[in-house]
Amino acid sequence: MANETNTTQDAVSSQVATDTIRKYLTFLSDGLYFGIDTSYVTEIIINHKITFLPMVPYYVQGIINLRGQIIPIVDMRLRMGKTACESEDGTNCIIVLNIDTIMIGILVDAVRQVLDIDTSKISPPTANNHEELVCGMMTLADGTTMLVLDQAALSQS
Amino acid sequence: MDNGMDNMLDMYLFETNTLLEQLDGILLNAEKEKLFTVDDVNEIFRIMHTIKGSSAMMEFSSLMKIAHKIEDLFFLIRENGVDTFDTVCSEAEHHELFDLVFNSIDFMRSEIERVENAEPLTDNIDSYLEKINAFIDKITVHFNPDAAPAASQETTTTEAAAPSQDLPDNSAFFLHVFFDEGCGMENLRAFMLVNALQDACEDFTYYPKEVESNPDTAHEIIDKGFYIGFQNKEAAETAINILKNQSNIQTYEMIENPKAKAPQTKVEEPVVPEHTEVAAKPVQKAESAPVHTSKKSDSSTHSMQSKQSLISVNLSKLDSLMAIVGEIVITESMVTSCPELVGVKLDSFTKSARQLRKLTDELQDIVMSIRMVPISGVFQKMNRIVRDMGQKLDKDVELVIIGEETEVDKTIVDGISDPIMHIVRNSMDHGIEENVEDRLKYGKSPKAKITLTAEHTGGEVIISIADDGQGIDPQAVLNKAMRNGLLVKPESEYTQKEILNLVMLPGFSTNEEVTEYSGRGVGMDVVRKNVEKVGGVVSITSEVGQGTCTTLKIPLTMAIVDGMEIAVGDSIFTIPINNIRQSFKATSADIIRNVDNSEVIKRMDEFYPVIRLHELYNLETNVTNIEDGIVIWVESGDKSYCLFVDELLGEQQVVVKPLPTYLNGFNIKNSGIAGCTILGDGNISIILDILNLYTNASNLN
Repeated sequence: MANETNTTQDAVSSQVATDTIRKYLTFLSDGLYFGIDTSYVTEIIINHKITFLPMVPYYVQGIINLRGQIIPIVDMRLRMGKTACESEDGTNCIIVLNIDTIMIGILVDAVRQVLDIDTSKISPPTANNHEELVCGMMTLADGTTMLVLDQAALSQS
Repeated sequence: MDNGMDNMLDMYLFETNTLLEQLDGILLNAEKEKLFTVDDVNEIFRIMHTIKGSSAMMEFSSLMKIAHKIEDLFFLIRENGVDTFDTVCSEAEHHELFDLVFNSIDFMRSEIERVENAEPLTDNIDSYLEKINAFIDKITVHFNPDAAPAASQETTTTEAAAPSQDLPDNSAFFLHVFFDEGCGMENLRAFMLVNALQDACEDFTYYPKEVESNPDTAHEIIDKGFYIGFQNKEAAETAINILKNQSNIQTYEMIENPKAKAPQTKVEEPVVPEHTEVAAKPVQKAESAPVHTSKKSDSSTHSMQSKQSLISVNLSKLDSLMAIVGEIVITESMVTSCPELVGVKLDSFTKSARQLRKLTDELQDIVMSIRMVPISGVFQKMNRIVRDMGQKLDKDVELVIIGEETEVDKTIVDGISDPIMHIVRNSMDHGIEENVEDRLKYGKSPKAKITLTAEHTGGEVIISIADDGQGIDPQAVLNKAMRNGLLVKPESEYTQKEILNLVMLPGFSTNEEVTEYSGRGVGMDVVRKNVEKVGGVVSITSEVGQGTCTTLKIPLTMAIVDGMEIAVGDSIFTIPINNIRQSFKATSADIIRNVDNSEVIKRMDEFYPVIRLHELYNLETNVTNIEDGIVIWVESGDKSYCLFVDELLGEQQVVVKPLPTYLNGFNIKNSGIAGCTILGDGNISIILDILNLYTNASNLN
């Protein structure tokens, strides 16, 4: 399938890896800049046909057939209680995650890059954190703030 | 043995469970006949011997000890003549023997269960051992009335001498060899083996000694095996290579002799000097001597004697084989119905494609048949339950089994074992009358009957459990349901069928008190749930005074279903063909509005509700007029209704895939979606669960 890119093409970094350095995949959803540990990421697929599934919460967009595997798709925007991203041309971008053997695809606006993140520098979310999907925050070198996606909360249905 | 420990454990569990089941069968039969045949006793003896051996090998000492005791017991019976035993012992003693052995089997089962759950084994088994010992003493008296005190004496002496039969001398390594059963002339075969070894190895000892001159040693070799002792491991390994080339050897095993390392720990035992001919013959009260050390690694004579052409395979391997075959079936149709091929004339391709289709069909059939096992295992278990409960509750019940050779998918057999057991218990406990007079009153024979039947009908297996007991009293059921607040409409409106179905509601149990066997709060609702889990349905018929019949209808397999593809808007659904009665075009004139504005339609003089799939699932479609779409009359269990869909796409065999785990939290299974499948073009089709879909739809209204 030509419409797949592989996450292993990491942003090149020759830095000596210490125990706290992890690779994070960053993506955009509704203007927010998220990051997730790449060890949970299986692959990124674009423009895949999503089959509608009745009787599930509104944020579950449906299921996809990924080479014989059935994977549920969660729209990140809807999951956060925001409005769905309307793409006119029917394009989509899905990050397939494997969270403790639970396979989920998340529908995001765009995938950015893979960064080396020193996990010891991730600060906890603010006390009045209303965003259940965020388990940490971190300011990056270019001044933008990355929200660390709480994959455990995401996989709880 | 190159298998890992896990594999060995699996093998052990499988083998031991099979043997225990076999034992159960033999005993039940013998109990019915009220006597043992020589074959029975030999078989029991052999089973116990094998369990003892393999348990010792796995170091499950409690299992080993019990098995050993029972082995002793049957050795005694065998030695003294089975006929003598049958005549000499009173009925009560017979009875006691059966109870004793059954109890021991149960104990072993519970121990096996502990092994399966990785729990520690019971340490304290003395009471069991004592019971068996006491019984052995008791029947020894019968066999040998004069020597009664001597006999018990013997038991104690042999017990003390027990460890001596462990290994015959102080060589560091032993090869323990068993010859093929029934090959004859074991002593000479052993001698030939010794000759063969002499060429290669210099220093070794063997027991029994006089194999060449004394034909009696043959029996000893059959019972105990042939021991060859070596001073070091290398020599033993050379010998093994030679052994491999010898014929008629069933099993051999290398044993490291603990005595060679620590001889001082067992001072009391008579250490056999190595080359004194007379004493070298191990003092063998052989089988009757209880072994108290788990070091004795008996040969695990891998039970199946007649060389069966059977192998046991891990179920998970079969599951993945099934999954792959499923994929192949899909891929095959993906290739042959490739849209790019439409209109292209390719003679040789079509030919090969047809051949491929034929082969994949065959492959699928074979794989499916591999997973099929006869249901007899489940049915035979019920014999035990009927026997035990019959005794406890003092009810005389006969179990009749019909069609136990019926084959069902392995996962289904596992799934229905508990439900059937529960129903049989119910029948025994509540169904069969307490008093024989009650039976006579209805003109029934005093001996009650429970009939287990299994039969194939097309794509289903029908299993029924019928008793000729007192039946279910509909009024009692109604009263109880009312008390528990389970009634949803006035009492008088309930039909007989509906009343019986109340029994299967959660939180229902007609018997007031809790007994040992049933009424622990797990009722027929659990039975129903378990049967539904494997795609089946339960129905109950009952007549007061005549009995109750519970019927389980179960699909042969759940992995592949014949489905009808239907379309609603952009979505594609699959309805199992089994559920479809008819599909037809309807006009708006056919539709009748009910009071609550729901739609009903008349088919064959009966009215059925109409469910519009697009409304139920909120699907966007242009087909909303009843004339434009098509109506499918479906049926599952006791629910029959009509589904309104856009169009039929065609019939197809589909491989059922479970829904992703993530979605399990949304209770989607109860909304009428059984799973999904991948169609030839890669699209996903959702498989409908006709029964749950109706329940879901009526809940929404």
